[in-house]
Amino acid sequence: MFGLVGRVVRNPAQAEEVTQEVFVELWRTASRFDPARGAARSWIMTCAHRRAVDRVRSAERAARRDDLAGRRDQGRPYDQVAEQVEATLEREQVRRSLDALTDLQREAVVLAYYGGYTHREISELLGVPSGTVKTRLRNGLLRLRDHLEVYR
Amino acid sequence: MSADPHLLTGAYAADALTGIERLAFERHLDACLPCAAEARQLRAAAARLGAAVATPPPAALWGRVRAEVATTDQVPPVAGPVGRRFPSLLAAAAALLAAAAALLVVAFSVTALGLGLVGGPRRSERVADPVAAVLAAPDARRVAARAGGVGQAEVVVSRQRGRAAFVASGLAPAPAARTYQLWVVDRSGPRPAGLVEVPKGGRVTRLLEGRVAGSEQVALTVERRGGAARPTSEPVVVIDLRA
Repeated sequence: MFGLVGRVVRNPAQAEEVTQEVFVELWRTASRFDPARGAARSWIMTCAHRRAVDRVRSAERAARRDDLAGRRDQGRPYDQVAEQVEATLEREQVRRSLDALTDLQREAVVLAYYGGYTHREISELLGVPSGTVKTRLRNGLLRLRDHLEVYR
Repeated sequence: MSADPHLLTGAYAADALTGIERLAFERHLDACLPCAAEARQLRAAAARLGAAVATPPPAALWGRVRAEVATTDQVPPVAGPVGRRFPSLLAAAAALLAAAAALLVVAFSVTALGLGLVGGPRRSERVADPVAAVLAAPDARRVAARAGGVGQAEVVVSRQRGRAAFVASGLAPAPAARTYQLWVVDRSGPRPAGLVEVPKGGRVTRLLEGRVAGSEQVALTVERRGGAARPTSEPVVVIDLRA
């Protein structure tokens, strides 16, 4: 969870703050967790991801515009992710599942999930309509789901 | 939102919607079962992406979390000394924080927080605390009952702590003037391990009384109110910890 937050907010001090917030939030809302509605990990990661995304969108919007522009020159974001996704079994499995996506799907999923960008920002970045981005996100995650066999 | 909302499950699961779009889509999810199911699955898939980049948080962060949780008043009023209560709550919480480390433990820690610890003032503090300790134990192992007539039941056992907890959902209330009773069965026969009250909703988290080595069977029977010294009926659940 800390790793995910750190990747999205990209500032170690803020990542710690957000992680702390998420944890306390989990603590407060634990009684609302319903195992029947999904695994605990999903719940935790969903809370963490959402909180991280909300943080970058509210605090750093202006700065992120520049960052967004800069990213085009930095090569594919997927490469940066792949580099850090280590070869543990779990990570390897996720990495292989990401490989199973088309390049366009993977790009959208990685920008949205690891980058924390909205579909509009992604459509701006890639120069495609935002409806296309939504479709790529959905088809990409559907394929990921099938590969990872998560049906809960 | 003019676009077909059914196509938004992916953007939603990846948190690529803006705040307002997210709220609108969540309202759609309340009304559209297929979308809700798909969104849940896609979120689970996305969560795997999150788990794949998990790293342990810095130790200092843990200290701050500990401090903040200690002053968070969401926990029911504490009868005993606060200082003694929090360490084991935090043991359960530690598992949460290290989400990638021990997913099983996380699942049960969360359940423990939900069912046992934040469950309400009726629950005995003495029971709630060690339950969390068992669920969060590094060697916690869960053994499920084979399908039976009583919803889902399992035992989480920690050999290290020598304790076990009974966790069940969908348990029907005991018949009038009767109660559920837990038993630990080893070579010397069954010994009583506590009565089980079924709260509304049928979800139970109960520490088994006495030490459990992890090689016994755990049984649940229906007994007359107040419990019995030896089981007097066929068990409704048997969980073999050796399995």
